[in-house]
Amino acid sequence: MIATIAKGELVGAWRDGRFRLGAVLVLVLLVVAGLLARQQVARETAERDAATALERKNWVEQGNKNSHSAGHYGVNVFKPSSPLAVFDRGIEPFVGTTVFLEAHRQNQTAFLPAQDATAMRRFGELSAALALQVLVPLLVVLLAFGSLAGERESGTLRQTLSLGVAPRSIVLGKALGIAAAIALLLTPAAAVLAILLSRSAEPAAEGTWTRAGWLAAVYAAYIAVIVAGSVAVSASTRTARSALTILLAMWALNCIVAPRLASDVVHGQLPMPKLAVFEVEMQKDVMEGLDGHDARSKQIEDFTKRTLAEHGKTSVDQLPFNFQGFVMLESERMAGVVFDHHFGKLWDRIQEQDRAVAWAGFAAPMLALRSASMAFAGTDFAHHRRFARAAEEHRREFVRLLNEDLMNNARPGDHGYAAGRALWEALPEFRHEVASAAEAWRDARPSLIVLAAWLVASLAFLGWSATRLRAVIL
Amino acid sequence: MLEAQKLTKRFQDRVALDALDLRVEAGEIFALLGPNGAGKTTTINLFLGFLTPDSGDARIAGTSVAQDPVAARRKLAYIPEMVSLYPRFSGIENLDYFSRLGGHKRRGEELYALLERAGLAREAADRRVGTYSKGMRQKIGIALALATGAKVLLLDEPTSGLDPAASHEFSRMLKKLADEGVAILMATHDLFRAREDATRIGILVNGRLVAQHGRDEFRGKDLEKLYLERLAS
Repeated sequence: MIATIAKGELVGAWRDGRFRLGAVLVLVLLVVAGLLARQQVARETAERDAATALERKNWVEQGNKNSHSAGHYGVNVFKPSSPLAVFDRGIEPFVGTTVFLEAHRQNQTAFLPAQDATAMRRFGELSAALALQVLVPLLVVLLAFGSLAGERESGTLRQTLSLGVAPRSIVLGKALGIAAAIALLLTPAAAVLAILLSRSAEPAAEGTWTRAGWLAAVYAAYIAVIVAGSVAVSASTRTARSALTILLAMWALNCIVAPRLASDVVHGQLPMPKLAVFEVEMQKDVMEGLDGHDARSKQIEDFTKRTLAEHGKTSVDQLPFNFQGFVMLESERMAGVVFDHHFGKLWDRIQEQDRAVAWAGFAAPMLALRSASMAFAGTDFAHHRRFARAAEEHRREFVRLLNEDLMNNARPGDHGYAAGRALWEALPEFRHEVASAAEAWRDARPSLIVLAAWLVASLAFLGWSATRLRAVIL
Repeated sequence: MLEAQKLTKRFQDRVALDALDLRVEAGEIFALLGPNGAGKTTTINLFLGFLTPDSGDARIAGTSVAQDPVAARRKLAYIPEMVSLYPRFSGIENLDYFSRLGGHKRRGEELYALLERAGLAREAADRRVGTYSKGMRQKIGIALALATGAKVLLLDEPTSGLDPAASHEFSRMLKKLADEGVAILMATHDLFRAREDATRIGILVNGRLVAQHGRDEFRGKDLEKLYLERLAS
C-alpha cells in the first residue's frame, strides 16, 4: 500500500515537466559547483605545493648566518586543503591559507582566498553543499506542497480514502515518494562528486570516505526533515495555496533569514575582540616576559642573576653555553605561554560562537546541517584551529632547534657565530594531516544532536498530521 | 448491506441530517432525492466516514463506520459527481493504482477487460486522463468498483453533467452491478434517472427523510409531481 502510493508519487513527479526542469537545474548546479570547487582546490593545491618547494629552497639556500637570525628569516607554511572541500568549502575562503613562522611571534594565517575574489563573491559562493542546503529544500517544497492539500482540492484524496487506505499509509507513501524523487535526482550528482573526490589532486586522507559517508547521512537526514515537514504541512492545510505560502515562508526563514540572524545574534552575544586590541594586549603580556633583544631590561637583569646563581658563576661568559641562545630559548618559552593564553581565548570564543550557531539549529535545521557539513568536509573552524595549532607547534620546535644550536654551538660572547646549510636541512618540513573522521564526528556532535532532534520531531509531526488527515476540512 | 440508524449531523446550529433511518439491501438501487442543501452529500460523507455523526450510526455490511472507518470503506466503492483521477496517469494506470490501493492487484489484461466492461475502449484506456470527458471518468469509477468487487456502492450525483448517451450507458452499468448483488445508494437530482434505475427512492428535505417509495409506488407515476408535493408539504 505504502509502496504503491510512493511509486505513484514518484512517477507523478517524474512526469511533471516543472519537476524535471527543476531537477535538471539543481543537478547542473550541483555538478558545476563540484567541478568549480575541484578546479579551485586543484589550483590552490598546485600553488601550495609550488610555494612549499620554493620556501624550502629559499630556506636551505639562505646562506650562512646566526641561527637566531635564521629564526627571523622565517618560513611560510601552507594549509593543506581537505579533499572534501570540493563539496563544501566551509570557511576556507575566509580564513588564511599561509602562516609565516618566525622567532618571537605567533602570526595569524594570512592570504585569504576571498581577498583574491572579484566583487561577485558578495553574491555568495556556489558550492554543492549550498545547493543541497538551499535549493533542494525549495525543490522539496515545490514537490510536496500539493501532495495532500492539492489532492484534497482535486478530490483524489477523497477517492483514495474511500478505498479504505489508512491515512498513515497515505502520508507515509507520499513522503517516501517525494524522498525517492529527490534521491533519484541526487544519485547522479553524488556519483559525479564521488568521482571528483576519487580523482582529487589531493591524496585522500585516511577517513575521507568515512567523512563522505557521514556527509551523505547528515544531508539525507536534513532532506528527510524537509520532506516530512512539508508533507505534514500539506496534510494539515485546507488548500495547496495555503500550504505553498506556509512552506515558502518556512524555507525563507530556514535558508535565508536564520543563517544571517543567528550569525548576528551570536556575534552580539559572544563578541570577538577587536584585532588591534587583541594584538596590543598580547604584545603587552609578551613584553612582561623576556625580551631577548633588550639586554638592559629589568627582566633580563633578573634572569641573568638567577641563571648565574644557579650555575655558581659571576659572568655569563663563564657559563658552559651561549647565554644569548639560552635567553632566546627561555623568552620563546615564556612568549609561548602568552600566545597560548591569548590565541586560546580567541579560538575558544570562535568555537563557542560556532557551537552556539549549531545549537541555534533547534530553530532552523539548516544551521545545524551547515555546521555538521563543514565539520565532516574538514572545512570548519575546528579544523582550521588544528592547522593553526600544528603550525605554531612547528614554529616553536623550529625556533627551539635554532636557539639550541646557538646556545650549544656558539662560544660565549661570540656574536659572529654562523650556522649553515647542514642545520637548515636538518630542520623538519611542516606536515599537517586533516583530522580523523572520529575527530570530525566529535566536532559535529552538537549539530548531529540537533539534526536527530529535528528528524524525530518532523517524523512525529508527519505521524500527527496523518491522524488529522481529512478528505473534507470544514 | 448499508444501514443508517438515527444518523444525525449538525453544522453549528444547523441540522444537516436529522435522525436518518435507512436500509439498502443487496441488489437494491436506492435513489436519495432532494434539493440542494437537503443533506444528500452529508449522508454520503457520513457513510464514507469523512464526517463524524453527532449521533446515530452508519453501517456498511455490518461494520460501523464511526468505529472502524477504514474497514468500512474497504467494503464499498464510491463514485462522486466527478471521478477524481491523476491527470499524469493514463486510464489504465489510474485503475491499476486505485485498485492496488483497494487491495486488488490485477494483471494488465484483467484491467483492460474491466475497463471494457465499464465501456471504455482500449485505446482510450492508454491515454492520459487529462484529456478524458466526464463520462469517461465515470467509467473508470465503475471499473474501479468492479475491480475492488465492492458489495456496496455510494454514488453522489453520478450522472450530473453527462450527456444522455453517457447517462444511459452509466445506468446500464449500475443495473448490472445491482443484478450482481451490489447495494447501491445514489444521491441525485436526476429524477429521470431515478425513475429509470432506482428500486426505491427517498426524498430528503432539510435533513429529514420525508418519504420513501418502492418501485411499484412511483413506477408509471409522475415522479416530478410526487417529489414537488413532498417538498411543499
